Amino acid sequence: MLANRKLILAHFWLAFAVFGVALTLGAWQMFIRSPIGTWLSNPELYYRSLTAHGTVMGYVFPTLVAMGFGYAISESALKQRLVGVRWAWAGFWLIVAGSIMAIIPIALGRASVLYTFYPPLIGNVFYYLGVVLVVVGSWIWVALMSINLRLWRKAHPGAPVPLAMFANVAGSYLWAWTAVGAALELLLQIIPVAAGLKTTIDAGLARVFFSWTLHAIVYFWLMPTYIAYYTIVPRAIGGRVYSDTMARISFTLFLVVAMPIGMHHTFADPQVGAGFKFIHSAFTALVALPTLLTVFTICASVEIAARLRGGRGMFGWIRALPWDNPMMLALAFSFVMLGFGGAGGLINMSYQLDASIHNTQWITGHFHLIFGGAIVIMYFAIAYDLWPHLTGRELLDLRLIRIQLWLWFVGMMVTTFPWHWVGILGMPRRMAYFDFGDPAIAPQALSVTLSAIGGFILLASGILFLVILARGMRAPQADAGPYCFAVAVHEPATVPVALNTHALWVALMIGLTVTNYGYPILTLALNEGTSVPAVYVGAQ
Amino acid sequence: MSAEEAHRDSAEVAARVERRWATFAVIIIVGMALLAAFAGIHSATMPQPRVETTDPSRLHLSGEFVESNLGSVLETNGNVTVRAIGQQYSFTPACILVPADTPITLRATSADVVHGILIQGTNVNTMLVPGYISEQLMHFAKTGDYLMPCQEFCSFGHEGMWGKVKVIDKTEFADRAKSGGRLSCVGQ
Amino acid sequence: MSARDLFTFRNRHFRAAVGVTAAILIVTVIGGFIVLPFAQPWVQFANAWDAICSAAGLPQRTAIVAAPEQTGRLSEVVLTSSTLSRSSQEAIGRGATLAQRCAICHGPTGISRADSPNLAGQYSAVIYKELHDFRSGARTNAVMSPFAVNLTDQEIADLSNYYAYLPRLPAYHPTPQLPKPNIVIYGAPMRGIAPCGSCHGSLDNKIGSPWLEGQSEAYMKAQLQAFASGERRNDISQQMRNIARAMTPQEIEQAAAYYASQPADVVKAVD
Repeated sequence: MLANRKLILAHFWLAFAVFGVALTLGAWQMFIRSPIGTWLSNPELYYRSLTAHGTVMGYVFPTLVAMGFGYAISESALKQRLVGVRWAWAGFWLIVAGSIMAIIPIALGRASVLYTFYPPLIGNVFYYLGVVLVVVGSWIWVALMSINLRLWRKAHPGAPVPLAMFANVAGSYLWAWTAVGAALELLLQIIPVAAGLKTTIDAGLARVFFSWTLHAIVYFWLMPTYIAYYTIVPRAIGGRVYSDTMARISFTLFLVVAMPIGMHHTFADPQVGAGFKFIHSAFTALVALPTLLTVFTICASVEIAARLRGGRGMFGWIRALPWDNPMMLALAFSFVMLGFGGAGGLINMSYQLDASIHNTQWITGHFHLIFGGAIVIMYFAIAYDLWPHLTGRELLDLRLIRIQLWLWFVGMMVTTFPWHWVGILGMPRRMAYFDFGDPAIAPQALSVTLSAIGGFILLASGILFLVILARGMRAPQADAGPYCFAVAVHEPATVPVALNTHALWVALMIGLTVTNYGYPILTLALNEGTSVPAVYVGAQ
Repeated sequence: MSAEEAHRDSAEVAARVERRWATFAVIIIVGMALLAAFAGIHSATMPQPRVETTDPSRLHLSGEFVESNLGSVLETNGNVTVRAIGQQYSFTPACILVPADTPITLRATSADVVHGILIQGTNVNTMLVPGYISEQLMHFAKTGDYLMPCQEFCSFGHEGMWGKVKVIDKTEFADRAKSGGRLSCVGQ
Repeated sequence: MSARDLFTFRNRHFRAAVGVTAAILIVTVIGGFIVLPFAQPWVQFANAWDAICSAAGLPQRTAIVAAPEQTGRLSEVVLTSSTLSRSSQEAIGRGATLAQRCAICHGPTGISRADSPNLAGQYSAVIYKELHDFRSGARTNAVMSPFAVNLTDQEIADLSNYYAYLPRLPAYHPTPQLPKPNIVIYGAPMRGIAPCGSCHGSLDNKIGSPWLEGQSEAYMKAQLQAFASGERRNDISQQMRNIARAMTPQEIEQAAAYYASQPADVVKAVD
């Protein structure tokens, strides 16, 4: 039984509550800029909503899920009470405070600069300070994960760290380091300008800093999903992890190559040298490796479950899988979306192909499919799996859960496929409305309408999800037993020190950041001539 | 064979299969990277070769982005250079005139915040970051009209920032270029 | 096992990880800094060092380009968000004295009885820019130009601060408030026209753009027509000509009539 259920529940409830709000905003945005909506007489409302949606979905929601899940993993995988519970609450409340501080200026229309900041546009200083508080709160979690693992190691010298905790701590280190880019941008560049201490800012440097965060943050979002793939799914469907070693290698690879690749977001930017763009492009290709390894290992693990259930034949075993098990369903949906999204990502990572879709609706389609689709559907699965252990009550209505997952999957497909398509046609991102009456873009109207319908399907699924969780709080009590993770076919008796600790990989991560980001950042930072006047947005 | 040996054997089988799959994955990735590099050199766009800086608030005073220099110019070698700026909330020139079948260099920058130039139906797609000059090679096979929206959020009028590109016949362009000055299709 | 056993080349994991990472890095550096720059025959580099520096992204200042002569004078004002950001009571007082000679046309309270612009409460950067342009000849007007030619920089700044400080009062030519025409609310995206308010104050203020509520209809119409025809060209880099040219004559009339009918105090305070 988890000891700190209240703490974990608080993280999950806050995460899913803000997710519900941001999801509603997202659906409204899809609708209002589609041909079925009417043009906004105040386009700023769209950008305001977009800022809130992005800030919550990008910074608050996944961070809280990772934190709550991380505390649960620490307690259950290490089988030791969480150390530093007070600090954990402090981190939680910092996130609450930061979120409120950020959302007030957004709601007042004083910070409609979108979650990517992109100076020289400058909004209200409290928006940025709020984001900083959220990040600081999450750093407390990083420290706690590290401390808890260290204490466990002391008590179990030389023993293999449970896979779930190994991956969880890898994810927390990745976040700690990747958040530094945006933190530097906020603290050194934006906040001094927003507070009125400076009036100029280097927009190019800010974009480089932000790319440091913006790509690896996706892998931080991905971590809970991958942890669920490896350590929850096989257990939930009655299988085994095919290979513990491969899992560890995948997580360490994420740690190393998720970071030094962010400049593929700046392929079209004038402030980054072509040589560095090439290096980042090549490293971006590498990040496909841990995903390919994961796909193999998980398919093999799932096959084990099927064969244990009597599945036969080359592909016949697929039918023997427990398809009525929500975890199985979520995994399959997640893999399908990861496959399509990953294929799209391969296009984005190559400079030449990226040019045809950079900053079009393709990009929004892409990251909604990966993050909103492949990643978030596993967040749902994690919540369903953990809920009985957190509430001490059973989630009874599996049918409702299956409907919710189906709706999310179908909704995401209906939303993102047309979205990709209009991107290929060259529809730009982040516009409050489009004149679909004009013959030049009229052919895009149907696709955009479809996307908007998909948005409402997603909203319905999201509401259903919250209803299921809320009902789970009032179900009859039942003892769910200890929370445990999948075991490997060949459980390791010993693990080489390199794969049992993070030091080597963290060192490589930092080293590659220095080689791949050091020169571009220094050369822009030291060049005085590239600072440009700030442009303050809305009322000051 | 004892149970322990069987266990070890099956672990070795698993490791072998994994290695095979990992090798396969690496081959896929290396293949893709080579393909991208090859395509870049031989047939597609490449990142701009240099980083050039400029002062966005003084573009109109001197240098290559003064008003009289914005637009298309036929160079002596037969190539065309287009100079343009993005500003809240328009491109200048608002309609870019270029010839078909000609190597074109687009040089552009921003006068205030971050903008982007995207010419629909082509690979022309670059950010305009204030303080820096963007350069991109373009080539249009067919004559016709193209839309050129701003592709990056540039504050509340972003949705109204749409320019145009008009591609005309090569000889017609050369005719118009004879009178000197900078060409555009503004007001046509 | 400790860190000492890990960070040593005797550890095969360390060897492999560091070796592979370094190898990839070296190969990509060679590819990105040496092979690719020279694989593009259309790019000329002075030498290998120039190619490497360019690939690394060392910022370079642009070569001087010979631009054609400007035909006629254009605005030479540099506007940033910090232009005139601080005003003092003294500056406003000096501006008030200077403003006495403006009162004939622009009214003693900054509200014009004629078709001259109302200046009371106008953004200071707007008055600053237009006075500079009148002085330099980038904008000309038979009445206004002679007043502006003799103003000093200090006097222009003082006048701007003074008028920005005055309260926005109702205009002298009130008409019933008209409903907002589409061109004002939405602009016309495909013609490259953003909503008027995204620069002119009601949504946001682009520095140098005036708020328009309660200004003279005839004045605004004349200015839009002058921008459209290219007769007025002191908008920096054609920011207003681009818009006015794309507007239809009917839209120009609708926009001018709408703004003239609005009370000045509804402009969202953004200055």
